[in-house]
Amino acid sequence: MIWLEAVGCERDGQVVLDTVTMGVAQTELIVVEGGVASGKSTLLEIAAVRRLPDRGTLWFAGRNVSTLQRASLPFVRRNIGFATPDSLLLPDETALANVVLALAVRGESPNNAEAAARDALALVGAEGLAARRVGSLSSGQQRLISLARAIAGPPPLAIADEPAAFADDDVRQRIVWALCAVRDAGAAVLCGTADDAFAAQMVEHGGRKINLDQGRIVGAPAVGLVPAFTPAPISVDIAQRVASSDADEGGVATSPATRGPA
Amino acid sequence: MVVGITRLGTRTVDRWGGFLGQNVHVIAYLSEDADPDVVQGLVALLHRVPTVAAVKVVEPAQALARLRAVSASLGSDPKSLEGLEAGYFPRSVEVSLAPAADLSQPAADLAQRLRGVPGIEQVDAMTSGLARLASWVKLGRRLGFTLVAVCGLLSLAILALVFARSRDAGRAQAAVLLDLGESNAGVRLPASLGMAAAALLGGTLGTLLLRLAWRFALGHLEASLGIAVATPPPLLGGGEIIASLGLAFLLGLALGYFATPLPRVGIRA
Repeated sequence: MIWLEAVGCERDGQVVLDTVTMGVAQTELIVVEGGVASGKSTLLEIAAVRRLPDRGTLWFAGRNVSTLQRASLPFVRRNIGFATPDSLLLPDETALANVVLALAVRGESPNNAEAAARDALALVGAEGLAARRVGSLSSGQQRLISLARAIAGPPPLAIADEPAAFADDDVRQRIVWALCAVRDAGAAVLCGTADDAFAAQMVEHGGRKINLDQGRIVGAPAVGLVPAFTPAPISVDIAQRVASSDADEGGVATSPATRGPA
Repeated sequence: MVVGITRLGTRTVDRWGGFLGQNVHVIAYLSEDADPDVVQGLVALLHRVPTVAAVKVVEPAQALARLRAVSASLGSDPKSLEGLEAGYFPRSVEVSLAPAADLSQPAADLAQRLRGVPGIEQVDAMTSGLARLASWVKLGRRLGFTLVAVCGLLSLAILALVFARSRDAGRAQAAVLLDLGESNAGVRLPASLGMAAAALLGGTLGTLLLRLAWRFALGHLEASLGIAVATPPPLLGGGEIIASLGLAFLLGLALGYFATPLPRVGIRA
């Protein structure tokens, strides 16, 4: 779904990303683990088409995003759900309205958008917050709303930066299930974290881990497929099925075979 | 509303001016040896002047009868006019001007021309009265424009306040929409169309209100002031209504567009 080829980025003369090549395919979940100043947030911003790389090429669904005009980039960006710790939400609107907004921008009908939004809120365990004003929620709850907005639909590519930051074990588990459910629905999922425990849980549920240190991928090279994408609708019970299937199999799901971009 | 009231108000003032300017006469007093043919020719000529409504030759006997009638209506003792004879009054040509807001210049022009006609001894053009009337009409117009200007400024101030507040609210929403992948046009267009529709609705309601209320209010006002004007009260023309609604629509479109600022979010280079 997304392919970054030799992507590099500098800020104030400092190298933030150094020739990173990686991709995320449909039904694939990749977690980028790195500490402070590792470049993972910049990497995720580039993958989410919120930032343009200084070098390299960015492909999305088989199209070279680097060659698109700036005016066309919003049309790419709306197909990528992106959740960060400081995601912009509308404080005077309800949690449900905030999630529906992302689907409305994507062109969903009001009825479908509301149903998908409710499913997404239920996936992250925030269904009880649907009718509450976002401005009245705690920062942790707002991060859950932001994550629900990023995975609602689901979009072809869902990206989450530190989705489980400051979360307790139950909430972290819930978030892991939610991201796995989105992957199983056909989306490509990419998330960044500095939390070892969260990264380990993602790997336990079939994700692949990439280590990022000072803007470089450390360890095994990360390549992925860039096929065509047909998203499947997400439902609330997928998370529960994922949780129960992991308990039955008692092992780590293997990742798909890798090839270069299509 | 402000523009419509301005236009209707101006027309009403002119209309009242015409009413107040009725029965304005220019009187040319003839000499004793004035040639009757010249006088008849003058009367025929005056009938052709556009600002002249009527021309009448007043014989001395008629002048005396008028004086007696006016004196009696004022309650004077008829004996005070007993010694007066018609011979004391000169023949005159009485020219009535067509009603208009400001007749001082037409009356002065006509008087100037009549003074040059042989056989006319003296011309009375009611200049001081007309000048006062014109001053009152001018004052009325200026007061009206001042009132309208104050209302207009108030409206602009309210509009500016609403605009500033909606920009603040719009900025936050625009930032979220741009972050979610909405295009610039997609962010601005709904607010632009919404405000244009509101402006059109407001303009239509204002026009309907003016159409319904203006005649009613004006009729009551004229009745209370004792102003009886033969012509119907002024209304806004179809072209004026369409033009003002079109202007309101465009103004709403522009305001809605600029009331939605585009913050610097989205793609960072």
